[in-house]
Amino acid sequence: MSKPKVGIYGLTGCAGDQLVILNCEDELLNIVGALDIKSFSMAVSESDDDCLLDIVFVEGTVVQPRDEEMLQNLRERAKLLIAIGTCAVWGGLPAMKNEFSQEEIKKKVYGPAGDIFKTTAPQPLSSFVKVDLSISGCPIEKEQLLQAVASLLHGDLPRLPGYAVCTECKMSEYTCLLVEKGQLCLGPITVAGCKARCPGYGQPCIGCRGPVEEANVSSEIEVLKEKGFTWVDIQNRLRTFVASIDPLQIESV
Amino acid sequence: MKIITLPKENLTEFIGYLHAFGEIHAPTKRGDKSVVFAPVSDLSEIELNYTRTILPLKKYFFKPVDVMFNFYADKGYEAPTEEADKKYVIFGVHPCDIHGLKILDLVSNGRYVDTYYFAGRNKAAIIGLDCIPDDLCFCRSIGTDFVDAGFDLFLSDIDNSYLVRVGTSLGDDMVKAADTLFHEVNKEDREAYKRKSIERRKSFRTEIQLQDLPEIIDLEYENEVWHEVGEKCLSCGTCSMVCPTCYCYAVFDELNLDASSGQRKRRWDSCLFKDYALVAGGHNFRAERSSRVKNRFFHKQRGFVTQYGRPSCVGCGRCKAYCPAGIDIVEIVNKLRSQTRV
Repeated sequence: MSKPKVGIYGLTGCAGDQLVILNCEDELLNIVGALDIKSFSMAVSESDDDCLLDIVFVEGTVVQPRDEEMLQNLRERAKLLIAIGTCAVWGGLPAMKNEFSQEEIKKKVYGPAGDIFKTTAPQPLSSFVKVDLSISGCPIEKEQLLQAVASLLHGDLPRLPGYAVCTECKMSEYTCLLVEKGQLCLGPITVAGCKARCPGYGQPCIGCRGPVEEANVSSEIEVLKEKGFTWVDIQNRLRTFVASIDPLQIESV
Repeated sequence: MKIITLPKENLTEFIGYLHAFGEIHAPTKRGDKSVVFAPVSDLSEIELNYTRTILPLKKYFFKPVDVMFNFYADKGYEAPTEEADKKYVIFGVHPCDIHGLKILDLVSNGRYVDTYYFAGRNKAAIIGLDCIPDDLCFCRSIGTDFVDAGFDLFLSDIDNSYLVRVGTSLGDDMVKAADTLFHEVNKEDREAYKRKSIERRKSFRTEIQLQDLPEIIDLEYENEVWHEVGEKCLSCGTCSMVCPTCYCYAVFDELNLDASSGQRKRRWDSCLFKDYALVAGGHNFRAERSSRVKNRFFHKQRGFVTQYGRPSCVGCGRCKAYCPAGIDIVEIVNKLRSQTRV
């Protein structure tokens, strides 16, 4: 069986998800043994950016027209397009600015230099192209990436958790930061996969992996309000990684 | 049943003797308030006056995530290598948690015996310890505030000593190994035990009326309460994880990068998860959150009663204690009983 041709690309983002792939140190030889990596700008100096691909991994957010062009081109070249990282899956941190005027915020950040490039409202990949698999996380979890690669090699899509961070937090028997310490923890509405790493270090979940399926955001907001958090605190935390969920709308339901 | 006493000052020494019977696990502090069962080396690490641990004892025998077997396309499958003969002594187990284990024993020993569960269960000695309830404990209403069997030894606090009930021959071996530390029960001990028993009974403040509860929840199947709770429930799975008798699991494969070998695993599942009742073809029998919450209560308080003659709830209070949304089974039951459905 010939090795699947794979491309690893980044749109606008911090490249942290590509770094996770490079950080799979013990497995790197197996990965390159199993995949024919055609392009991985962070790791490979020679790349083929025109060939057809079996799988393309794309990180980052679409924040400018050239990101969208690149994404459309990748979609055309690849049989399977896999969004990696919360930016690619949900819009992530860049989408925080979506409630402001694009022009105003560009002027504020870049001044006159901002006139030489165009920006658009940051959006996840699925707003533009069909995404075959989403692996969220800021950054993604190495184990999920490896599981995804193994499953794809076998011809399946991987089984990713459909439950909340609380589930993994309880499995590890960590102290509940929400119930016991009254902290602003988004564990109940954030998708698992991180093994509740932050609560394990005594830090509340900030929702970096994006929402769990059918997240009960309105109940979470009620819980947090009862603990004494202000609407601004709650809103800021909810919008950090997933600005596409509008708590204002949810509350009015 | 053989009953003896252990003066409290002898407990340290007795714990020392227990090392010969396996790795000692006992309630220990985690964070400011939480308590968890964890390995200990001596009495100073043990939290004797705890109320409840985050996870019940199922974590030892029915692990949160467990490898069932390794598989290979060419060789077939093999059992995972583990510490086959490792023994445990679990010290300081409250009556409700022993009842929880008895329920898991019952369920795991049905038509299809759960050999994974019993592989660990059969290697663990259980030393019980009595307790003083808090407002969340409703074990007395369930009948799980006291336990007659299911332990190797059970220690009841009678002020200066523990009254020790010997439940099994293994428990008797433990006593014999530390023979000089134990005394015969005298008149004073008997009086102290009876007095304590009355005091303890009076300390239960939360009640749930169990009689005819299955019928009540049948009659109130369409009660608005279920929708109210469904609105609050976060589907976070916490109640199932911390429940001593939630035994559902999901089986899945994890492949290695050669895509021809891997591990079959199982992990704790919860009927509160959206995909729990999702079947082939995309139909979901319990797509609504309210129906999932209702199902959990029905299973504990109705379905299990029909099948096993008792509810599968042991009244430990964990589901209320750890629910981020504060969902309270006692409150739900009281509402179902008092409200008239239109």
